[in-house]
Amino acid sequence: MASEKILETQAVKNESSGTKAGNTILGIILNVFMWIFSLSCIFPLIWMGYSSLKQKRDFNKDIFSLPSEPSLSNYQRILSNPDYNIASSMINSTRTTIISVALIVVCAFIVGYILARCSFKMNRPLYLMFLMGMLIPVHSLMVPIYIIFSRAGLLNKWYTLLMPYLCFNLPVSLFLVEGYVKGIPTALEEAAAIDGCSFSRSMFSIILPICKPILTTVAIINVFGCWNEFSFALILQSKAFQTVPLALKNFTGQFNSDFPKMMAAMLLTMSPVVIFYFVFSKQIIKGMVAGAVKG
Amino acid sequence: MLNSIRPKNRVIFGYLLIPVALFIFTVFVPLVAALFYSFYDWKVGPNKIFNGLENYVKLFHDEVFWASFRHNIFLVVFCIVGQVGIAFILVMIISSKLVKAKGIHRTFGFFPSTISAVCIGFIWLMIYDQRKGLLNWFLVQIGKIPNMKSGPVWLNEPELIMLLVSIPLVWQYVGYYMVIILSAVASIDTEVLESAEIDGANGIQRARYIVLPLIKSTLLVCVTLCIAGNMKAFDNIFVMTKGGPGYSSMVMAMYGYKTSFETGYLGYGSCISVAIFVLSLIVIGGSQALLNHFTTDEYDRNEAKQAKQRQKDMIAAAKAKYGKGGLR
Repeated sequence: MASEKILETQAVKNESSGTKAGNTILGIILNVFMWIFSLSCIFPLIWMGYSSLKQKRDFNKDIFSLPSEPSLSNYQRILSNPDYNIASSMINSTRTTIISVALIVVCAFIVGYILARCSFKMNRPLYLMFLMGMLIPVHSLMVPIYIIFSRAGLLNKWYTLLMPYLCFNLPVSLFLVEGYVKGIPTALEEAAAIDGCSFSRSMFSIILPICKPILTTVAIINVFGCWNEFSFALILQSKAFQTVPLALKNFTGQFNSDFPKMMAAMLLTMSPVVIFYFVFSKQIIKGMVAGAVKG
Repeated sequence: MLNSIRPKNRVIFGYLLIPVALFIFTVFVPLVAALFYSFYDWKVGPNKIFNGLENYVKLFHDEVFWASFRHNIFLVVFCIVGQVGIAFILVMIISSKLVKAKGIHRTFGFFPSTISAVCIGFIWLMIYDQRKGLLNWFLVQIGKIPNMKSGPVWLNEPELIMLLVSIPLVWQYVGYYMVIILSAVASIDTEVLESAEIDGANGIQRARYIVLPLIKSTLLVCVTLCIAGNMKAFDNIFVMTKGGPGYSSMVMAMYGYKTSFETGYLGYGSCISVAIFVLSLIVIGGSQALLNHFTTDEYDRNEAKQAKQRQKDMIAAAKAKYGKGGLR
């Protein structure tokens, strides 16, 4: 902290004096500082990346050096042994994420659109209900949701997690859609209605395409949310349908002394989101910021 | 609102039925259930005994619960300063003209917030590890400790533990807040900053008197996100310490989980859930009120007061003129 203050004061002095040399030095300092920050952010990825190619013995000798004889045997062993559940959990997570995100997008669009455009008696009460749903701290629901789900016989099914994921993410998503729909002029739908277009048709074939940007944002926010969610998967799901964070937790419980193996497992389970992130980083950052500020 | 071509109630009902029913079932039914079960003495199994407010009395005297509440508050304060504060400084640096490769810094900085808290927890477990951890390795390299074995077992230090579990949180979200604040700073008109520069404001003055007031609302959003996020801290702690050693890193959600699923007291666990619900709402609501109070300055408040007074006067004048009920 102190060093940054110094940097800034230096920045001030140099800028005001306006010397070219001062600016170059300052530029170097600021750039180096920012590079240290960014590299510290992806450093674990790099460290884990090359360390996962080592063997346990090799790693314990020197934790930082590059692998002397890199091999993919850690990955092979993890993927070929069904007891570790890493491969199957990735399938489970993929399924859960895709279905939940699809459900969230569809429900958020329908509910958000109707709340924004239709006046009916229950409009305000429903709006308030979803608003309250956004304020509820989800972790206070952990215990009761377990009780309710076990009563209803909903535990340990492939669809168990869809419901909490849909419902906890619905409020933010639908308010994003609602705000967006309010910015679309109603004249569009009125013109369609005069031409004989039904309500459902105007909703899906006129408004839906216009809402594409906001629905993409909703989908992006929720892909990460659903893939990474841990606490509800922990209490509601058994071994057969466990998602990635859960499998990882069990796996590392068994191998907490074999770091390279742990790293390989973590990298494997992180890979889909990491690739997704680095390919679409611009849109993702934009979407997440929009979601955070408006939600 | 579409008033001229409003669809039939039946259509609206059909569309809303499933989402709303699901939402009530997964959010509001458990909430009511928690309240209901919190009045029972219930350990896993069929026997439930109604015991009135006993759970709440027990909770009120429960040292561990209040310690975990304090830990949550510690996390909130530490992370507001750490995440939002450092993010603001980083934004000031990155928005300087001298810094190159802004896109890369943004992409890399944002990256940790997209991986799961479980992974973050494991990464930091590996960093803090005594014999194979990076932290002790680093201390050996700079000569602070002779070898890894003599280094401290970091996660066994009760005094340091809260600090050690909050550092990963700060690390994970600094980039996230940096990007949010950066987007707010980018929307500031450059002319404002340039004219300030011409008037002779230096970097710190510009940051304090021009940028800060202009991005106030975004900063408030960040602080609110930070408070809400840290009141529900769970994943990191679960992976790294499970609340230990002893209870020195217990947080509320972790305590609720332990009571309900490890020791099996579902009745008392429900009671803790209700307490988490109430306390979180109080903290979030209270901090909102405080922030609003301190961020709207004297001038704004006077203005609002005067406006209200004027409105009252007008209504009173109108009433006097047209008599009671004449104001339509």
